[in-house]
Amino acid sequence: MEMSYREALYQVMNNALTDPRTIIVGQGVSDPKGIFGTTLGLVDKYPDRVIDAPLAEEGITGICIGAALNGLYPINTHMRADFSLVAANQIINLAAKYRYMFNSNFELPMMIRMVIGRSWGQGAQHSQSPQSIFSHIPGLTVVMPASSQSILDWYTWALHYNNPIIFIEHRLLYDIKFLVGEINPYPLNTTIVREGKDITIVATSIMVLEAIRAAKYLEQYGIDCEIIDLNCISHPGWGDVLNSLSKTGKLLVADTSWLPFGVAAEVSRIVCEVNPFLLKAPIVSLGMKFTTCPTAKALEDIFYPNQRDLVKAIIKLVTGKNIHSIPLPDETSMADLYKKFKGPF
Amino acid sequence: MVFQNTFEKIFYNALRIRLVEEKIIELFPDDKIQSPVHLSIGQEPIAVGICNNLKQEDFLFSTYRSHAYYLAKGGDLKVMFAELYGKSTGNCCGKAGSMHLTAPEVNLMGTSALVASTIPHAVGAALAAKLLNKEHIIVTVFGDGATEEGVYHESLNFAGLHQLPILFICEDNGLASYTKKEKRQNYSLIEQASLYSITTWELYEGYDLGKVDITARLAIEAVRSNRKPHFIWFNTYRYKEHVGINEDHNLPIRDTTEYNLWKSHDPLIQNTELINKFSSIIKEEIEEAVEFAENSPYPKLHDLYLGVI
Repeated sequence: MEMSYREALYQVMNNALTDPRTIIVGQGVSDPKGIFGTTLGLVDKYPDRVIDAPLAEEGITGICIGAALNGLYPINTHMRADFSLVAANQIINLAAKYRYMFNSNFELPMMIRMVIGRSWGQGAQHSQSPQSIFSHIPGLTVVMPASSQSILDWYTWALHYNNPIIFIEHRLLYDIKFLVGEINPYPLNTTIVREGKDITIVATSIMVLEAIRAAKYLEQYGIDCEIIDLNCISHPGWGDVLNSLSKTGKLLVADTSWLPFGVAAEVSRIVCEVNPFLLKAPIVSLGMKFTTCPTAKALEDIFYPNQRDLVKAIIKLVTGKNIHSIPLPDETSMADLYKKFKGPF
Repeated sequence: MVFQNTFEKIFYNALRIRLVEEKIIELFPDDKIQSPVHLSIGQEPIAVGICNNLKQEDFLFSTYRSHAYYLAKGGDLKVMFAELYGKSTGNCCGKAGSMHLTAPEVNLMGTSALVASTIPHAVGAALAAKLLNKEHIIVTVFGDGATEEGVYHESLNFAGLHQLPILFICEDNGLASYTKKEKRQNYSLIEQASLYSITTWELYEGYDLGKVDITARLAIEAVRSNRKPHFIWFNTYRYKEHVGINEDHNLPIRDTTEYNLWKSHDPLIQNTELINKFSSIIKEEIEEAVEFAENSPYPKLHDLYLGVI
């Protein structure tokens, strides 16, 4: 059956609240928009446990920590991931360290949801993608769902996970419908989305969908891409990446954030440390240009890697040539396309 | 230990904290406690008065200056010395040390070196107590410097807004490291807490064991019965430097006259009768605890990786 990313989020939030220990806390969780529809109307069913928060990100995160220490399961929401950085003290200095610092005398089961914004003028402070910042910290678990199935599996599992877990959602995925099956009680850290023999594309979040589109396009020209959704950014299934690479010998990493010190850098580190001889060509990585995100559409279109950039990079890596006979797709803005994009994944 | 009356009991507990910290001062030059220590000497009556009126199931959130609260809440002395020594018999296997002492068995929750950072934890625990219909109350202790942090205001607001069963306690020693309050604050602590519809209490004689105990009792009973937020301001005095074992009254920031005045009121200096009565038995207990720490093993590589997630 098909389910949109938004519907999957609503379903897991609704299910989570059937446990009387669950609270959802954040700015706007009970307002008429309900975190883009994912908590809409839940306050009517659970008036005490769907708690609209004052504009106090650090305090609210700290309150969630304290609530978890006294028996609740808090779900803290940020409508944009950028706001979570206001709470970085509580997330990084406290939540991440609580178990270790106190030698497992306490457990901190809690969920932090944050949404990456993109396009329509999100600009410098509504567009950041902080997966590498949080994955850098021991004690945090970071997941970037790229499908409704990942949401159903991971968020359901997280309710029984006794550690802080951060979910970084992508706003442009909310309306996309995905095929879903039964909930997997043991979610996969990393998923092989498409099998192929010519190149391994390791992608995160919306870049997984970009990679799928590129792979479909290149199929007709005889290029066979293997796509790996890294999914659990803090604890990926490195075995899947290395196995795939032993088959293809070519690695492209496509991330939603900046490249320096980021996911692409980490994937490259692992490959180079474990077995650099798997590589038949230098690694290629794609991400945001290393500037602050501009608001103007003309600049933003250049800031993000588009389908043309991705296809071009794949062809060059697979063929080893800059000059070839494969035509490149012509797209100005991916965001325009996402308005119409309906899956199938 | 059998006491003649409550005063003897709280005196004993305060003296125990004083003597433990004096032992830490004695041991410190040997470099066996390789961790910053923030001593409570001079401030013991607050910890003792508060904890004398708490039940074991009440949660207490404290700070990096928490030797006094650890002991007053009922934490084990041997385990504390082992933790300070960084030994595997410490209740955090040495991973916490002095700045992150905790005693989960008596609900002294995890303490933190980031100023004001555990105040919202107390508010969250109070929210849970309210939603889960628990009977215990939540207490959070902090210094005057913590009240300048944004998260302190956020915490007071939330506790006031949701009317949570929490007691905020400010130990005002007038100093943030070496910076006096008049250089830092442009508000009255009491008035500010009142703004959030929080009931306030205050005591200037923070050295007076009996008065601290009564103030704490009244405020704690009030939180217990009306399940609403309360705030106590205690005037107190830190004898030692912000961090470390030395005195810093040679510095211009400190006032020797004020110091001598506090010492002249200090029951742990002035009440020689009770000091003489209890000192030897407490010192015996301390020696045993130190010996336990000395003889305990250090944690190993295996321990390093435990408890990340």
